[in-house]
Amino acid sequence: MRFVVRRLGFFVLTLWAAVTLNFLIPRLMPGNAAIAMMSRYKGHIQPQALHAIEVAFGVNTHESLVHAYFTYLGNIARLRFGISLTFFPDQVTHQVLQALPWTLALVGITTILAFVLGTFIGLISGWRRGGMLDGTLPPLFVITSAFPYFWIGLLAIWLFSIKLGWLPESGGYDVQTNVAWSWSFVSDALTHAVLPAFTILITAIGGWILTMRNNMISVLAEDYVRMARAKGLSSWRIMWTYAGRNAILPNLAGFAMSLGFVVSGAILVEYVFNYPGVGWMFLQSVENQDYALMQALFLLLTVAVLVAILAADGATAVLDPRTRDRS
Amino acid sequence: MSETLLRTEGLARHFRVGKLLSPQTLHAVDDVNLSIDRGEIVALVGESGSGKSTIARLLARVYKPTQGEIYFEGKPLSRIRGRRQRLAYSSDVPMVFQDPYASTNPAYRISHGIQRALHLHRRDLGRKGRAAETDRVLDAVGLVPARAAARKFPYELSGGQRQRVGFAQALAFRPKLIIADEPVSMLDVSIRIGILNLMSELREREGVSFLYITHDVASARYIADRVLVMYAGHLVEEGPTEAVLQRPKHPYTQLLLSAVPDPRAELGVADKTDVGEPPKVVDPGEGCRFRARCPYAIARCETETPLLRLLGQRHRAACHVAAADADLTAEPQLAALTDS
Amino acid sequence: MTAVTAAEPAATPGPEPPLGAARRGYGADLWNAVLRNRKALVGLLMLLFFVVLATFPGQIAPYNPQATDFLPGLGPSRAHWFGTTAYGQDVLSQVIWATRQSLLIAFAVGGLATVLAVLVGVSAAYLGGIADGTLSLLTDVLLVIPIFPLIIVIAAYEKNSGLGMLVIVLGALGWSYGARQLRSQTLSLRTRDFLESARVRGERRIYVIVCEILPTMTSLIVATFLGAALYAVLAAAGLQFIGLGDPNSQSWGTMLYWAENNEALGAGMVLWAIMPGICVAALGAAFALLNYAFDEISNPALRMRRLDRPIDGARGDAVPAVPPAPDRILEVRGLTVAYATDGDPVIAVDNVDFDVARGEFLGIVGESGCGKSTLLYAITRLLGPPFAGEIMSGHILFQGRDLVSLDERQLRHLRWREFSVVMQSAMNALNPVLSIEAQMRDACKAHSNMTDKEIAARSREVLQLVSIDPIHLHSYPHQLSGGMRQRAMIAMALLFTPDLIIMDEPTSALDVVAQRSLMVQIKELQQRLGFAVVFVTHDMSLVGHFSDRVLVMYAAQVAELGRTRPLFAQPRHPYTRALMEAFPSIHGPNARLTGIPGSPPDLARPPAGCRFAPRCPQAMARCHEGVPPLHDVEGDLVRCVLYDKGAVPEPTLVQAS
Repeated sequence: MRFVVRRLGFFVLTLWAAVTLNFLIPRLMPGNAAIAMMSRYKGHIQPQALHAIEVAFGVNTHESLVHAYFTYLGNIARLRFGISLTFFPDQVTHQVLQALPWTLALVGITTILAFVLGTFIGLISGWRRGGMLDGTLPPLFVITSAFPYFWIGLLAIWLFSIKLGWLPESGGYDVQTNVAWSWSFVSDALTHAVLPAFTILITAIGGWILTMRNNMISVLAEDYVRMARAKGLSSWRIMWTYAGRNAILPNLAGFAMSLGFVVSGAILVEYVFNYPGVGWMFLQSVENQDYALMQALFLLLTVAVLVAILAADGATAVLDPRTRDRS
Repeated sequence: MSETLLRTEGLARHFRVGKLLSPQTLHAVDDVNLSIDRGEIVALVGESGSGKSTIARLLARVYKPTQGEIYFEGKPLSRIRGRRQRLAYSSDVPMVFQDPYASTNPAYRISHGIQRALHLHRRDLGRKGRAAETDRVLDAVGLVPARAAARKFPYELSGGQRQRVGFAQALAFRPKLIIADEPVSMLDVSIRIGILNLMSELREREGVSFLYITHDVASARYIADRVLVMYAGHLVEEGPTEAVLQRPKHPYTQLLLSAVPDPRAELGVADKTDVGEPPKVVDPGEGCRFRARCPYAIARCETETPLLRLLGQRHRAACHVAAADADLTAEPQLAALTDS
Repeated sequence: MTAVTAAEPAATPGPEPPLGAARRGYGADLWNAVLRNRKALVGLLMLLFFVVLATFPGQIAPYNPQATDFLPGLGPSRAHWFGTTAYGQDVLSQVIWATRQSLLIAFAVGGLATVLAVLVGVSAAYLGGIADGTLSLLTDVLLVIPIFPLIIVIAAYEKNSGLGMLVIVLGALGWSYGARQLRSQTLSLRTRDFLESARVRGERRIYVIVCEILPTMTSLIVATFLGAALYAVLAAAGLQFIGLGDPNSQSWGTMLYWAENNEALGAGMVLWAIMPGICVAALGAAFALLNYAFDEISNPALRMRRLDRPIDGARGDAVPAVPPAPDRILEVRGLTVAYATDGDPVIAVDNVDFDVARGEFLGIVGESGCGKSTLLYAITRLLGPPFAGEIMSGHILFQGRDLVSLDERQLRHLRWREFSVVMQSAMNALNPVLSIEAQMRDACKAHSNMTDKEIAARSREVLQLVSIDPIHLHSYPHQLSGGMRQRAMIAMALLFTPDLIIMDEPTSALDVVAQRSLMVQIKELQQRLGFAVVFVTHDMSLVGHFSDRVLVMYAAQVAELGRTRPLFAQPRHPYTRALMEAFPSIHGPNARLTGIPGSPPDLARPPAGCRFAPRCPQAMARCHEGVPPLHDVEGDLVRCVLYDKGAVPEPTLVQAS
């Protein structure tokens, strides 16, 4: 139980840090980008809504910093992020909710898939050390893991869309199809998701393979694996329950840590493919100086990473009895 | 007449353990009174977790005592002020560590520790003086030729040689007391004696006192003038080596001695065994800490912590049950206890 | 088989000393290791290539990168290898000039992030307490906040921010991963004796951190730098690509930004969009390769070596003519085991013969590095990483079957039912993530059709045999004390009451009292259940009471093998005798002992002749001439020329024997 409480505490603390950064950055940055934005709002929205935005960005306000901070926190807690400029006069929250499913479907699924596949390949590769798989994949993925996501995306567009014409080059669906739960729409959306998914998968998977392989090799040198051999257990049992289960623990911790990296890659992938998800919208908001939307999306990304980390923590606690006892 | 070099009074060290909401205190060392004379080798014997290494670190000022005081040459350590006085004490009482593979920094030649010691503590020596002194101490611990030895990296030396480097570092301080924390326990049997002999020689030649901390009673007997036995943070017995070994008073000392493997002694499997383990001393109450394992425990052991009592010539034990030697008192009840 | 096959295609060519074995210092060592690692070398060369481009772009680039002198959108040609941009600039020249900024960012961010990581990580670990708590919390928070979006947020308020801003933001946010690793490394160093020694010496804190801790962490600090540099290259390119950053700067990311804005891919200016990306990828790969190689160098387990002559060589040999005696459970004949090293193979077990009778307790005694553990793992056919030893020749007849010739599947049927193993440290030998019960169940399921109920009953039974409350069946290894873990492992070895239990120093991690009681218990169980024991230890006095016979090993060979009592009463080999005299005793007179001068030989370069001769007080010229054979003296075996029948016997020893 203590473990759960502590992790939740960390969750809240990190969220608070992100919220506070959001509050401080516009105030700390030189220049008056925010003021410029405010002038674009003026006359278009009600004074009350304008005031909320002013508080959030520290413009035209005579309130003390502390007071402004708490007003801001209150707005965040009620999920009031204001009105989007890009999609004026729509509420930010509404826009975000529209983009979220696309990202969850694309980035969420591919990230998990990359982790599961990569861990599995790494496990086999470490177990069959020096074999075919181990000879080819790790060196290859050391190199691909250094490739920029967006560039792989560009190459994929060039090859599969422009040259070969197999797949659509941008967007999440064909604008001519109706957005509805129909077969034509779903299959169209899936066709559009193939290239971005492939891009994320191919760049994200390398890291998992490498770390899992190295963990596996370290674990195979442990006494308990030797002991399992001495007990005459089947290779299958040793590979999964003795070596694999112990080797995956550091990988889970690594999953949590490198998730931020994956998210940033995914943002660029969405951008390259004009994919109507959170990342694309995030960069749109930056381009349009739509700071209200940008803030909300940044918080959303932080929450997404934190939720994934909590899930990894949960998995660690299930797999490792020591974590449950320690705290 | 021997002269007391260092003594402690009611020395205690507690560590906070447990969680924020349920803090607990680990009593690593409680109420220890010990003394070491000039030129004396005193062995501190106990199992792991008995608090003997904590005592070493208290005496070396790595830890501050929770309670009690350490007097060195009559002066209390708590009065030490300023870097100069601290350095003066640490050069009088250096320490030699257990793990020869970890006690020298792998990134430096072995002269590094000696040179730093000289640099810090004997500022009057010039570069040449330092080099000469390095040679002298390496020579003194049997690393010859010293010139060549000084230029080696730790990985080029064997475990025994590295442990000698540890003693050479300590000697560079011109120390009065060397605290040796299990200096031979990680060495191979065939080279242990060499290190033990080295300690005796250094005592003879340089007049250094030693606090030899060990779990190996036989090696303590080999070099020590006096033996102190620790159990669960308490000093349970102390006295001249032969007296303690031949006539152990405390039931724990007896158990410890009976467990020492001796290939020359006959033994049957029928021998009594003790599957108990030393307690973790977290928030202890009153009472003898050995009572749960003690075959002679009486009601009083539950309620009253025994203090060291004089039971023989300079021989004390902290036990309610143990009886004194016949020549001290007239009550010869001890026969039942000492026959093991 | 091929000669020394390396597992990875990019592994070390040629001999390579393990880290720390070179003659020169620590830094030189690391450098040598880098040069010998192929991945590191490739990474280094790639990096060097970019450094040259960045240093002399004016000399290398054919044109002015900004000049719009040419026709726009040209394809690759001899004049323009990579074609031209939509603005009529030469792509090749732009790529070359852009190297400078990307490298600058990589090194500046790498440097800044490394400095911050070292400062935070090392001081957190070294200072401990509240400072550690605060700093690690800060590190953890920064680690999970998605950095790249945060940088975008910052950049959004300050568009077209300059290079300096980019470096500061990337560096200030990118140190957390390295700090975390440095912290845990420092924590593991913190209790190392050499740091305590520096503190006791009276060194100042700052000296300890800078001069004692940092030099030992060189490879981790380098890895931190490489990781941060890799991240900087990718992040900077990404930011510039989406148009955050100075659009007039010369960098690969900016080139990609302009290429994307002009739809270069669709408009036929393919290389404009591809080449800068290739450069980013190549620079990133250079850092990644170096980083990976450093991981390999600092973690030797990741490298792998193999011997050229594994077990197959031994299989061809005929089983010895003498049929196995029925009373012997184990007969080891001419067993030789070698380890692959970077140089010549090291023979760790050299032609060892011995038998174990049914129900016998055989002690194998030797100092560290004498090959006793290797012998044990060879007998049980458990050699494998981390000890990549291989059986070169010899036979291990267990109940008449030669274990050397069995494959893993055949062995599996014998294991645990017929012979089981107890390892030195139960902490490491028990699977930390499974309960004791689950580990017992695994063994039972592998070798029997017992139901869960029967397994539980049997598990309880064996735990009771070693005086552990069966309630601990549900405990995990970390919840038991050291003595209990060791007992639990012995209990596990008893599940099938095998005929032979092989024990590797099962008591050496315990205190004397616990050690004693465990030994007595083992002996008691052995007498009750009748299994044979092979007991390996470095502590001669331990087996004195319990073993029937003792085998003394010295430098990979059998020095003496005899019945325990006579051997202890009258050791024959000078080494055994010296060993006995090296033990102080708590009984009898406290005589001065001399120990054994010198130290055991390096098995990579064993002395010619008798291996103990260099340390032997009775050595003579003959000892150096050849390895003496094992002499049979009254039924016991001794490897010493003193017992050579043809030779003139040493007068004192004639009396002694």
